[in-house]
Amino acid sequence: MQKSPTRRSVTAGLALGALAAPGLRIAPAWAQAKSVKMAMIAPLSGPWARQGQLLRQGAEMAIDEINQKGGIEKLGGAKFELVVADAGDSTEKAKNAAQRLLSDQPDLIGGFGSWLSSFTLAVTEVTERAQMPWLTLSYSDAITNRGFKFIFQTSPTADWQAAETLPTALKLAEAATGKRPKTIGIIQDNTASPVSFGKQLREGGGLDKVGLKPVVDQIFTPPLSDATPLVDKVRSAKPDFLLLLTSAMPDCKLVLEKLEEFKLAKGKIPLVGNGAPFGSPELLKTIGPELLEGMLFSVANWPLKGQEEFIERFRKRTGEPFATQDALCGYGHTWILKEALERAGAADKLKVAEAIRTMNLTTGPAALSFPGPIKFDEKGRRQEVPMVFAQWQKGVPVTVYPEDRAVAKPFWPSV
Amino acid sequence: MRTRAEASRQRWAILGFALAILVLSFVVLKSAYYQLVLTQVLLWAVLSLGWNLLSGYSGYFSFGHAGFWGLGAYTVALGMLYFDLTPWVSIPFAALVGAVAGAIIGYPTFRLRGHYFALAMLAYPLATLYVFQWLGYQELALPMKRDAPLLYMQFEDQRLYVVLALGLLVAALLISLKVENSRFGMALLAIKQNEPAAEAAGINTWRWKMLALMLSGAIAAIAGGLYGVVLLVVTPETVFGMLVSAQALILALFGGVGSLWGPVIGAMLLVPLAEGLNAELGDVLPGIQGVVYGIAIIMIILWAPEGVYWRVLDRLPRRKPAAAEAPPRPTATVVPLPHERRASTGEPLLVLRDIGISFGGLRALDGIDLAIPEGGLYGIIGPNGAGKTTLFNVINGFLAPDRGAISFAGEPITGLRPNQVCRRGIGRTFQVVRAFPRMTVLENVIVGAFVGAPDDATARQMALAALDRVGLSAQSGAIAGGLTTRELRLMELARALVPHPRLMLLDETLAGLAHDDLNGILTVIRQLRADGITVLIIEHTMGAMVQLVDHFTVLDHGRLIASGRPDDVVRDPSVIEAYLGKKWVDRVAVPAK
Repeated sequence: MQKSPTRRSVTAGLALGALAAPGLRIAPAWAQAKSVKMAMIAPLSGPWARQGQLLRQGAEMAIDEINQKGGIEKLGGAKFELVVADAGDSTEKAKNAAQRLLSDQPDLIGGFGSWLSSFTLAVTEVTERAQMPWLTLSYSDAITNRGFKFIFQTSPTADWQAAETLPTALKLAEAATGKRPKTIGIIQDNTASPVSFGKQLREGGGLDKVGLKPVVDQIFTPPLSDATPLVDKVRSAKPDFLLLLTSAMPDCKLVLEKLEEFKLAKGKIPLVGNGAPFGSPELLKTIGPELLEGMLFSVANWPLKGQEEFIERFRKRTGEPFATQDALCGYGHTWILKEALERAGAADKLKVAEAIRTMNLTTGPAALSFPGPIKFDEKGRRQEVPMVFAQWQKGVPVTVYPEDRAVAKPFWPSV
Repeated sequence: MRTRAEASRQRWAILGFALAILVLSFVVLKSAYYQLVLTQVLLWAVLSLGWNLLSGYSGYFSFGHAGFWGLGAYTVALGMLYFDLTPWVSIPFAALVGAVAGAIIGYPTFRLRGHYFALAMLAYPLATLYVFQWLGYQELALPMKRDAPLLYMQFEDQRLYVVLALGLLVAALLISLKVENSRFGMALLAIKQNEPAAEAAGINTWRWKMLALMLSGAIAAIAGGLYGVVLLVVTPETVFGMLVSAQALILALFGGVGSLWGPVIGAMLLVPLAEGLNAELGDVLPGIQGVVYGIAIIMIILWAPEGVYWRVLDRLPRRKPAAAEAPPRPTATVVPLPHERRASTGEPLLVLRDIGISFGGLRALDGIDLAIPEGGLYGIIGPNGAGKTTLFNVINGFLAPDRGAISFAGEPITGLRPNQVCRRGIGRTFQVVRAFPRMTVLENVIVGAFVGAPDDATARQMALAALDRVGLSAQSGAIAGGLTTRELRLMELARALVPHPRLMLLDETLAGLAHDDLNGILTVIRQLRADGITVLIIEHTMGAMVQLVDHFTVLDHGRLIASGRPDDVVRDPSVIEAYLGKKWVDRVAVPAK
């Protein structure tokens, strides 16, 4: 046991250090007294770390731009500063991160996060009590259904997206082929967002309203081990198009590969999805451009016409093949807070919140980062937001709808 | 079992701990963040205590306490969403849900032991997770009640959550203490150390295990309910996930499994450590916090494999075994035997009719007919593999016979569980002594006394009397793990004797003893006969038995081959053949004529 004292002291030191550390938090040297702080809480570790990283990249890019252009003008050119906290992989960690950030940083003027709806729900319980203006890209309706006054949801809500996705997809199909699809196949997993999407279609009358008959309707529990039974039903029922609502990449890959194996891929059965993961660079890397070609997906935000210069800089800076919803929102949310600060004229969270409530931005980097104007209703939902559709074309997911912000023309893979 | 004084010391410790937490919360910690973390520390400690109540004490490891935690959280969330039920009502209700879930889970799962039990428990939360997904409860947000925050447990002041969580923890500690100090806790400890012995000593292991799981489930669920209120968002992954079950286990193992304070120590150290690492490293090197946390756990477990609590306790100067353990000699020693002497009436006390049992193709017992009259010493002998121990196992209920019937004192006992057989007055010892090695000699014997004793104090008196009867009073405070073979045999005898059985089954009690030790035990056994207890004893060596017993029965290959007075039986040709082989039959048998 002669080694034990060393081991013990190291352990004790480690434990003590970790326990004591929160109290000894040292402010970074570049944080000058004059700077104005905003927060980001996003998953930076765990299964959603990649999305958090993209949000952060977007936000940091905006911060650099703002500071290079002279900081916050109305506050005498004060530097804008981003404070980051890791929401980790559970709601408990996300909520702790929020509580910690608000305790450690009493002078925050606002923030955004936390990507996953359940994280956002937990985080905003804290920010709401602190009267901290909080922006989020999370889709869940529950976020803005609670009567909160300080939450601003820049994405159209899940229910709204579910209601709008099919009519828009049908419009695109009709415009491209002259024929209106009559039947639909649905393959979805049973995680939170596909479930609420599917519920709107089936119980909320989403299918009836557009006169679509579901000839395949399959719900599976991830992870999928074999897509054959699902795709086999698609083969025999031959729907006019297939709505694919998967949240995990491997499941999506299995379905697409099985479609290929059954000679249903590459447009034989047009594919429509919902959500940013359908346009991620990882999907391209795993599945390859051929199987993805022609796939349409609705999403809250995607690179739009007018952002070319920003996208180019983003690609250079990060090495990503293209910008996605997450990076765009990180960038856009930071700019919204900057605009609000200019309008508020003070580094005061209540005034910033009031400025966001009353703003109606149609120009500038903030407005450019989102489809539709930056204008919120009393629930904190953005008004006059069009549904955005992107489509995989030659290995890049390009925005094809709404027309005025589209960067390419949609095509409907013909049967 | 702790003494009263010690239990009272523990209650003061709990009170002191609660006051310390209150001071920490109301005086030391200023920010809402630390209050939140403290609340979580307390809640995780409650979960871990709940886990400890089952797994720490009884040794039935559960990898599935997330099941109870999650049910608690969902009870509160669904109650509020669909019935507008305040957590003040739904959290206590969650305890009921947890207890019922414990009963439903325990019923099939306690058929399994060891790793199989642990793995089966793992399945429940994982399966429930999918059920809740299927039901469409992927993401439940508790509605904010601005008009009546107090009614719905939605406090502006985080410290009130600390108070509530502390209340739960104190309750869980007091329940654990109560369990530790009662026959409930003793029964669980006995089950952990040797379940068959506990069962044979008359403990209804099934009942205590079920009670432990239900209580454990209730505690975990009530903590899960408050956790739901604190987080305000409930998703299947966060409440039913593997990490929750792992947390319950890790905190207890780390702090000291099977101890009152272990889970609390584990939570107080590990939860802030993990959170501190998240806070400090999460934004700098995301993910590294998990690595550091893991290393810290590994290092502390290397230093304290049984947990911090036990390690620290080992380091502290050991208190001498309390003087109370060497009690005044009870008056019971000298005369009035609790059993009135029964004369050998000749009425058979134990009757076996046509008993048969097979293991696969082996007929271990085949058509055994046996009638043991009350009073006297009966020997069962036979070579190795003759079926002697199997016969005992059939009599005391470890094995159910394939055919045949057993009756004791005129009543059928075929198919009863060992503890029921014990309650009817049949005690037994084992070939290999089945002690509870981490308990004291006295505690070992008290376990046997619960059958007949109306209360714990009587049990203690009865145990002391039994120890005195076998001459082991001086060792009553010693830990059973350190006894000699002779002392262990005597202790086991005392444990079997304490509920005053009418029949004692002694399984090779004389095996492996030195000559002097042998005489000591023989004296005790003869004394039993003198006290009117019928004794059935197994041996495979004949020497000692011939002097000891009144009647011999010989088994070979599962069959009864001879029965009668010892002198006659040892000359029986079939007995000689069974022991020595055919060629000896002639040589030995001839001079006998």
